[in-house]
Amino acid sequence: MAEPSQEEILELIWTLDEESGKVERDTLIKKIHLPIAEQILDTLISEDYVTISDNEVALTKKGIANARLIIRRHRLAERLLNDVLDVKEDVMDSSACKFEHILDEEVTASICTLLGHPVTCPHGKAIPAGECCEKANKEIRPVVMPLSDLKSGDDAKIAYIVTKYHGRLDRLSSMGLLPGVQIHLHQRQPTYVIQMGETQIALDTAIARDVYVRLV
Amino acid sequence: MSVLDRDKYKVALVGNPNVGKSVIFGLLTGKYVTVSNYPGTTVEVSRGICSGLGGGIEVVDTPGANSLIPLSEDESVTRDMLLEEYKKHVVQVVDAKNLRRGLFITTQLAEMGLPVVITLNMWDELLDRGMNIDVTVLQEKLRVPIIKTIATHRVGVSALFSSIPNAKVPNLYVDYGKVIEEGISKIEKILQGNTTVNERALAIMLLSGDEVLEEKLRRKFPDPAFVEIHSIRNSIQAHFGSPLSYVINIKRANFVDTLVKKVTLNLKKEKETHPITRGIFFYFLVPVASFFMGYKLMALLMYLISSRFSLNGGLIFMLPLVVGGISSLGFSAYLYLKEYKTKSTIAGALGRITMHPVAAFPLLVIILWIVYKLVGEFGAGTCVDFFEEKVFGRSLVPSGGFDLSISLPFIHKTYIFTHINFQGFNYYFGLLAQKLVDKDNIIFELFLNEQSGLVQVGLTYAIAIVFPIVGFFFLAFGIMEDSGYLPRLAVMVDKIFKRIGLNGKAVLPMVLGLGCDTMATLTTRILNTKKERIIATLLLALAIPCSAQLGVISSVLGRVSGIYFALYVFIICTQLLLVGYLSSKVLPGAPSDFLMEIPPFRMPKVSNILVKTFYRIHWFLKEAVPLFMVGTLALFVATKVGILSFVERMGAPITRNFLGLPAETTHGFILGFLRRDYGAVSIFKTLEEKGGSGGINPKQLLISLVVITLFIPCLANFLVMIKEQGAKTAFLMFAFIMPYSILIGGILRVILQQFP
Repeated sequence: MAEPSQEEILELIWTLDEESGKVERDTLIKKIHLPIAEQILDTLISEDYVTISDNEVALTKKGIANARLIIRRHRLAERLLNDVLDVKEDVMDSSACKFEHILDEEVTASICTLLGHPVTCPHGKAIPAGECCEKANKEIRPVVMPLSDLKSGDDAKIAYIVTKYHGRLDRLSSMGLLPGVQIHLHQRQPTYVIQMGETQIALDTAIARDVYVRLV
Repeated sequence: MSVLDRDKYKVALVGNPNVGKSVIFGLLTGKYVTVSNYPGTTVEVSRGICSGLGGGIEVVDTPGANSLIPLSEDESVTRDMLLEEYKKHVVQVVDAKNLRRGLFITTQLAEMGLPVVITLNMWDELLDRGMNIDVTVLQEKLRVPIIKTIATHRVGVSALFSSIPNAKVPNLYVDYGKVIEEGISKIEKILQGNTTVNERALAIMLLSGDEVLEEKLRRKFPDPAFVEIHSIRNSIQAHFGSPLSYVINIKRANFVDTLVKKVTLNLKKEKETHPITRGIFFYFLVPVASFFMGYKLMALLMYLISSRFSLNGGLIFMLPLVVGGISSLGFSAYLYLKEYKTKSTIAGALGRITMHPVAAFPLLVIILWIVYKLVGEFGAGTCVDFFEEKVFGRSLVPSGGFDLSISLPFIHKTYIFTHINFQGFNYYFGLLAQKLVDKDNIIFELFLNEQSGLVQVGLTYAIAIVFPIVGFFFLAFGIMEDSGYLPRLAVMVDKIFKRIGLNGKAVLPMVLGLGCDTMATLTTRILNTKKERIIATLLLALAIPCSAQLGVISSVLGRVSGIYFALYVFIICTQLLLVGYLSSKVLPGAPSDFLMEIPPFRMPKVSNILVKTFYRIHWFLKEAVPLFMVGTLALFVATKVGILSFVERMGAPITRNFLGLPAETTHGFILGFLRRDYGAVSIFKTLEEKGGSGGINPKQLLISLVVITLFIPCLANFLVMIKEQGAKTAFLMFAFIMPYSILIGGILRVILQQFP
C-alpha cells in the first residue's frame, strides 16, 4: 500500500484527470506544494503506480485501483460528515482528507451501506462503486427488510423490531411476535395478516414497518 | 375463624383472549356471560358461585390477557384481580393449539406464586390440525394438574372440577441472566414481606416499567423506596440496547420455546374434510352461491339507478345473469386453484376469502343484503306488522283477527288452515278498562291513549319491536360473531376507520350499533384509547341508525325510489366519515395500533347463538323497556301539560323555513328522542297527508329522514352515554349533534333545489 503522501498524489492525479481529461507533469508538481514532490513522483513511477510520457502523467492499472479506493474513501467520508454528522464544509474537507488514510476496507463498506450506497459526493462528483454497492445492486431484495416489504405468501423469520413506541414493542412481544419467530405473510391488503404458528394476526402498516424480517 | 373459612379460596379464570374462559365460567357457575368468537368481548370481571367443590366457591372470570404485565386497560383488570388479597386458585385456560402463548402466562403465574390448574381447551381443534401435546411430559415438568377440555361440548369439565382443589404453583423458573437477576433480588429486598404475591413477580413487573403497579405500591411503601427502585432499573437498563421489558419478554419467550419444543408432537396428518363434502362445496356450493351473489349485486345496482336511466326489459333481464355468470366463473376458478388444489379445509378457505382484498367486498355487500332481508324486511316488516296490528292491536278498534296459513315460495300458493279471531291484547284490555272508567278519563288515556298511552304506545312498541327487529338482528349478529366473520370485517375496514380516528377493532361497536346503539355504546369499552371511545360514541349517536329506525327508513324510502335510498346511504356514510375525520383531528391523542388476533373461521354452534341472542334480548328488555315506559310517560305528561306543543311551536319555524318541511313534522323530530323509528314513522305519515293525492314529495322525505337519523339519539342511548363518558361529554355531544343535523338538512335542501 502506498504511503499517505503518495496517496495524496494519486488522489490528485485522479481528480485532475476527472476535471480536465489529462494531467501535465508541471501542473501536477505545482499543485502538490511540496518540496519533495518530484521525489515522491519518482517513487510512484518506480513502484509502477504512474507512468509519464511527453510531460503527460497517467495512472497505471495498479495506480487506478489504488486511487479509486482512496477517492471512494474520501468521498464517502465527505458524505458521512455532511449528511449524518452535519459538519461544516471547511471542517468536512480537512477531516475527509484524514479519514481517507485511516479507513480500512470493512469500515468503508459499512459506511457505504449505512449511507445507502451513495453515487455522488456532496460536491457532486462520482463516488467509485465498491464491492458492497455491486452486491446491493444485484440482490434487489435485501436480506433483512421490514415486514411491509414482504410479498404475500412469503415465509420469513423476525430479525428484530425497531420502534419508537414502547407500548407497541410490549404488545408485539406479549402476542409472541419476537425475534426468531417464523411467520408467513398471508396478505398485504387491506391490512397485513400474518400467520404465526396456529395464530393469525392482523396488523397495520405502521407496525409492519417496524418489524424487520429475514426471508427463509 | 373456622378451619373451613380459612381454607376457603376463590377461583380465578385467566388466559389469553378468545380461548374460552367465558364458556368455562358458564360451565363452572351455571351463569351466563356473553361468549363470542371475537377477542376481547369480556371487558369486565364477572363473578359467580360454583356450587360444587364442597359448597359455594366464588369463581371470577377475567378479560383475556396476553401478558400479566399489563399493556391495556383490560389486561390490568386481570392482573389487579390476581394481586387482590385473598386466597385463590387460578384456572388457566390455554388454547391447546397455541400452547406457547399460554405458557408465557403460566411462567408469570409461577413467578407470582399462585396455585394453578391448566386446562388445554379446544383439544379437538389441536387434533384437527395434526398436532398433539404430550400431556404427561408437560405435567411432569410443570407439576400442576393439566386437563384436556373441549368446553363448548362439555368434554373434560368434570375432571376440571375435581382437579381445582389440587392446584399447585407451576414448577417454572425463568432465569433472566446475571444483571437482571441481581436487580430482581435487590428490589425483592425492598418490597419484602409486604405483598400479596411473590416479591419476585412484582420486582419483574417494576423492572418492566409497570406504572399502574407502581402507583398501587406507592400507597404501601415510602417514596425513597421508589427512588432506589428507579435507580436500580436505570442501572440495569444501561446494559441493554432495547427497553428492559422487551429484554425480559424475550428471555421469557425463549424459555417457553424450549419447553414447548419438548412437549409438542407433530403428527403431520392434518384432518381433511371428507372428499364428498369438499366436492359439494367446491363444485356445487361455490359456483351456485357466487352466481347468486353476482346476479343479486347487479340487480341491486340496477334497482338503484333504474329511476335515472330507462333500461329496456331485455337488458334488465340479461345483465344480472351475465354478471352472475362472471362472478360464478371467477370465484370458482379462484377457489379451485388456490384452495381446492392446496387441499385446504372449507373453513380455512372461507376464512381467507372473507378477508381477500378484492373478493371480500362483494361478499360483504351480499352479507349485508341478507341481514337486511332477515332483519329489515322479515323482522321489521312482516313480524312487526303482525305483532303490532294483530297481536297487540288498538284499544278502541278490533284488529279483525288473522289467518293461520302457510305460504309456499316460488309457486305463489297460500294454504289457509284456520282463521284466528283474536282482536289484539290492547283491544281486550281497552274493553276491560272501559268497564271501570270512561274512555275519555285521564286514567284511561294514561294507559291506552293512541298517541302516548303507556300500554298502547310504550309497552306495545317495546315488545312488538323487540322480538322481531332486535331479536333477528342479534341472531344475525351472533352468527357473524361466532363464525369469526366480524374480526375479518375488522381487517377490511381498518384502513377506512384509521381515517376517522378509529381502527379496525371498532367494527364490533359500529356493527352492533346497527342493531341497538345503546348496547353498542356500552361495547365501546373494548377500544384502546379514550379518544377512540369518544369518537365511537359520538359516531354511534350521530350517524348509525339502529335496526328499528333503519327498518322503517329503508321500507319508506325503498317504496319511493331506489335512487333516494342510495342517496340516503351515501349522505349518512359521508357524514360518518366527515365527522369522524374532523373529530380525529380535533381530539388530542395518537391513533392506536391495530394489532388483532384473527380467530379461525368456525361453524357457529346453534345452541350458543340462540342462548346468546336470548341473553341479549333479555338485556334489552330489562334495560330498554323501562326507558321506553319512562319516555312514554314523559311524552304523555308533556302532551297534557302543553310542553310538547310549546316546543313544537318553537321548532316549527326552523323546520318550515330552514328545512322546508311542513311544520307538523316537528312533532316527529321530538318523538325521535324517545323512539328513533317512531319519529321516522310519524314524519312519513305527516308528509303523506300533506302530499295528498300528488303523492309524497321524495325530496322532503329524504331531508327529513337524513335529519332524524343524524338527530339526537334516543333517551336510552343518551343515558348510557352519560354513564360511559360522563355527563359533560354527553351533553357536549348532544349540543353538537342537534344543530349539526339541522344544518346538514338545510344544506341538503339547498343542494336538492338545484335539481328539478
